[in-house]
Order: sequence, then structure tokens, then C-alpha cells
Amino acid sequence: MEKVIVSDSPHIRGKRTTRGIMLDVIIALLPAAVMGCVFFGVSALITILISVAASVATEFVYSLCLKKKPLDIIRSFDLTSVVTGLLLAMCLPSHVKWYVPLISAVFSIAVVKMLFGGTGKNIVNPAITGRVFAFIAFQSMMVSGWVAPAISALDGSVTTGATQLTSILGGNGYSVSLLDMFLGTGMAGCIGETCKLALLVGGIYLVARKVIKWQFPVIYIVVEGFVAVCLAKFDFAQFLPSILSGGLFLGAIFMATDYVTSPNSTAGNYVYFIALGVLTAVLRAATKIEVVSFAILLMNLLVPLINAYIRPRPFGAPNFIERIRAKIESKKAAKAAKEEDKQ
Amino acid sequence: MTGKRFKTIAFDGLLKNNPTLRLVLGTCPTLALSTAAFNGIGMGLAVTFILICSNVLISLLRKTIPNAVRIPAFVIIIATFVTIVRMVLDKFIPSLYDSMGVYLPLIVVNCIILGRAESFASKNKVLDSACDGLFTGLGFTCALTLIGAVREILGAGAIFGYTLWDFKIEFFTSSAGAFFVYGLAIAIFNAIYSKVENVRRSKTFDLRIMPKPDVSAPDNLDPEESEKAQASTTADVAAKEVK
Repeated sequence: MEKVIVSDSPHIRGKRTTRGIMLDVIIALLPAAVMGCVFFGVSALITILISVAASVATEFVYSLCLKKKPLDIIRSFDLTSVVTGLLLAMCLPSHVKWYVPLISAVFSIAVVKMLFGGTGKNIVNPAITGRVFAFIAFQSMMVSGWVAPAISALDGSVTTGATQLTSILGGNGYSVSLLDMFLGTGMAGCIGETCKLALLVGGIYLVARKVIKWQFPVIYIVVEGFVAVCLAKFDFAQFLPSILSGGLFLGAIFMATDYVTSPNSTAGNYVYFIALGVLTAVLRAATKIEVVSFAILLMNLLVPLINAYIRPRPFGAPNFIERIRAKIESKKAAKAAKEEDKQ
Repeated sequence: MTGKRFKTIAFDGLLKNNPTLRLVLGTCPTLALSTAAFNGIGMGLAVTFILICSNVLISLLRKTIPNAVRIPAFVIIIATFVTIVRMVLDKFIPSLYDSMGVYLPLIVVNCIILGRAESFASKNKVLDSACDGLFTGLGFTCALTLIGAVREILGAGAIFGYTLWDFKIEFFTSSAGAFFVYGLAIAIFNAIYSKVENVRRSKTFDLRIMPKPDVSAPDNLDPEESEKAQASTTADVAAKEVK
């Protein structure tokens, strides 16, 4: 006789697990991480390793403090802390001292993720918050002392000092060609953010594996570029340099699309990513620093509000247009009923 | 005032009703002035002095002040002492006066002082009120100094202005760090406090209600026998109930 299982919905479960999705994200991040190591050398690799190790160790120790058994912890380990550590390292510069990725990773896992209840319960993205923490805590290291990459620009020049974004925002324009900006050659920056090609490859992999939807990162990037153009008095030459500089691609593809901290309805996601683009462009123009992480952090905090107003449509329920049509029809029916009453 | 009364007032002020860590009063100076341990001590002692003086005066006048206008009257009394402290500090410790800035005059509306005046000094005798002021103020000072010390060590690599090392996490000198350390301090303090309180309670509970274990009772009964004994007692009880 077959077993009858009485349970609450959902009754049909997908084969995808958190671990599988996180493995996809790690694979998608690898090209950019490898390019970061190629550009910035051993120090970048060390930063990534410290960050990942610290993240995993923090999660393990925190779970031990909750009196879970070591074997259970290893069995239920879902790779999210590896993703957090990897992402965090990718938005740190390679020249930071060894304790910056360490402390930031411990902060992002222990305070941002585990204190709120672990995977899926955090209200803000741990990696983003870790970067913001590093930015506030070690400001002098995060905004200066940029190291030139090992591979020079296509015309052979190497720029040191400020990143391309800071010089654009400072009104000095960019000093490498747009193709260099796309490839990340000859420009300073954080470990994972310079090579847009590698990030794009990772993004396409995620879209192909259906981990993220392609519309949302594209909306974020395009809206950011367009608002930047508007703020520069409709100088359309600003579009490409604005989207190709800084950590916009990294943030748009890997961080803003985090399931836990983005709205749970499609319409809500449109609102979220458009607002992100506007906020990033406006704050960049106002503060003259890279604000992608701050913008995502801010919008993460607004996600509960978006979720409260824009609910996901249950399967089979009327969609937006159908609902409006039904409303109009019910009003018509009410009117007709009234007129009948009068007669 | 008896010794027991003194003990409860001291325990209340320092631990049970610690204004910063248990009642979460006076948050504004706590967050703004705990960047360094010395600032914490200065602010704490200023508040303690004002608290003692205002508590004594309000306790003396508690039967004279009409109930309807008691809050304005309290504020005027507190403002008097704040003005005195400001003048004294400006004259003798100008550096502390400068570092406190606007938070020194803001003591007038500090809810710790107003809270103690409203809930204690206006209902109790002079000596009790003075003690309450002293211990509440000391509780505030301790908490502020502790938070200030943690923030100074982590944020500036120093303690009481004496440099320890070069390692700095600037986050802790910012206001975000203040909220972070303050929240953690409240959490840790309350965790320790509730644990201690639980132990204390269980001890008094044992003494009062639990009967002393019967020494003569046999320790290792056969499981069957004990079951039988239990069954018989339940049968007895049932029989009694039937009766």
C-alpha cells in the first residue's frame, strides 16, 4: 500500500536546493575572481581566501555556540557563507591589510546574518553590509592607495591613484579607453569589479541556469546610466563611462539580485531595481564616491515596505489588468442596479 | 534608613534599574558622549552631582510643590543645578566643558534626572532620595565609562587618552558604532543579569517551598516496587476522591 502523506502546501517541490543555487553563484563569480587575481596578484588571492575562510569559520563557530552538533552543521552547510565571503572580498581593494577582510567577514556573518536567524532571515545583504562596514571602519585604506593592475591598458598606459569613477565624479574625465574599462585592463579598482567582461559572463551563466532574471540587472544598469546622463545635462557621452566605472556590474548582477533581500513579487522587483538605479546615480553625483553598496543597503531596508504594498499574485488569481476590468464591470453593474431602483 | 533599605536602593540604582542598560534612559548623551572613556566619566559625574542635589531638594519640597505644576517645578530645580555645574566646569575644566558641548545644558531635560525626581524623590524621604541619586548616577557613570572605554579601545586604539596600539577600527568612533556597542552592551548586561536573577530566585524558591529531602528514605528502590508504591498512592488518592 502506498503511503499517504498529509501535509500543508506546497505539495510539489522543485529539485533546486539552496546549496545548488549557491554553487551556481560561486561558479558564476569565479571568472571575475580569477581575473581579479590576474590583475592584482597574490594579495587579491590572499584577500579572497581570508574572507571566505573567515565567513565559513564564523558560521561554524556561531552554530557551535547554539549547541548544534558539528556533524549536523556540516550536513546542513549550504554554501551561502562561501558566497558571502567571496562577494565581500570581490568588493574590497586588493591593497587592504589582512585584518580588513577578516573583521568584515566576521561582522557580515555574525552580526548581519546569524544574529537575525541565519540563511534566509537576514534583512540586508551580508556581503554588502560587510563592505559598508569596511568602508566606514577602515576609510583611509578603502579610498586611497589604489594599486595598478598587472596588465596595462591596450595603449600601454597604466593609471595609478584614484579609480576611474572617482576621477569621473571629480570632473576630470576618464583616462583609459572604454574598451579598457570593459576589460578592466589598466584601471585600478576593487578585486572583482574591474573586469566587466568576466562579470557579464558570470551573469549570463546565472541567467542560463535560471538563478536570476536578465531584466533586473539590465534595468538597474540602464536606469543608472540614463539618470547619470540626465544629471550631466543630457550629455549622452556620459552613459557608458558611468555604467562601466565602479562596482555597478558587480552590484547589479550579484548583490541586488539576492533572493533574500529583494522583493518577492515581479512588479515589486521592477520598482526595486528602478529605484536602485535612480538612487545610485543621484547619490554618486551628490557624494562623489562609489555608492553602489550604500544604495543597495538602503534599498534592502525598503524591501519590506515594497513587499507590503506590492504583493505577489497567487497562481490563478486575476492579474492587474483583469482586476481593473473586474472593478470597472462591478461599478457598471452597481450603476445599472441603481438606475433600475430609480425606475 | 535601615541597612536593608540602603542595600535595595543601591542594588536598584546600580543594577536592577540601571538607567542606561536596563531602563534605556538618557540615550542621547550615552550615544554622543561615549566616544572616549574620560568623556563618559565626566558626563556621568556631572549627572550624578546634579541628580543628588535635585533629588535632595525635590524630596525636601515634595509636600510644598502642588501636584499640577510639579514637572515645571522639577525642571527649574534641575536647571539651577545644571547652570551651577556648567559655570564650575567652564571655569575649572574647560577642556571637558568643550568636549561635552551642547550635551551639558541638555542635562536639564535628561530623562534619568526627571525620571528619578518623578518616580522616587517626590515620594521618599531626603536621605533615601540622596542615596538613590548617588547610586543611579553611579550606575549611569559606570555604563557610560564602559561603553566609552570599549569604543575608545576599538575605535582609537587608546584608553583614557593613553595610546595602546596603532590598530584602529574607525567604525566605532562613528555614531553607527555607538549604536552597535550600546546595543551589544544592553544585550550582554541583560543576559548576565537575568541569569544571576534566575539563580537567586531558584535559591530562595528552594529555601521557602521545597521540603528538605528525606534522609531516611531508601535510595535505590526496585523499579517494580517503586511503581507499585506509586500505583498504591494513586489508588489511595482515587479512593479518597471517591469518598
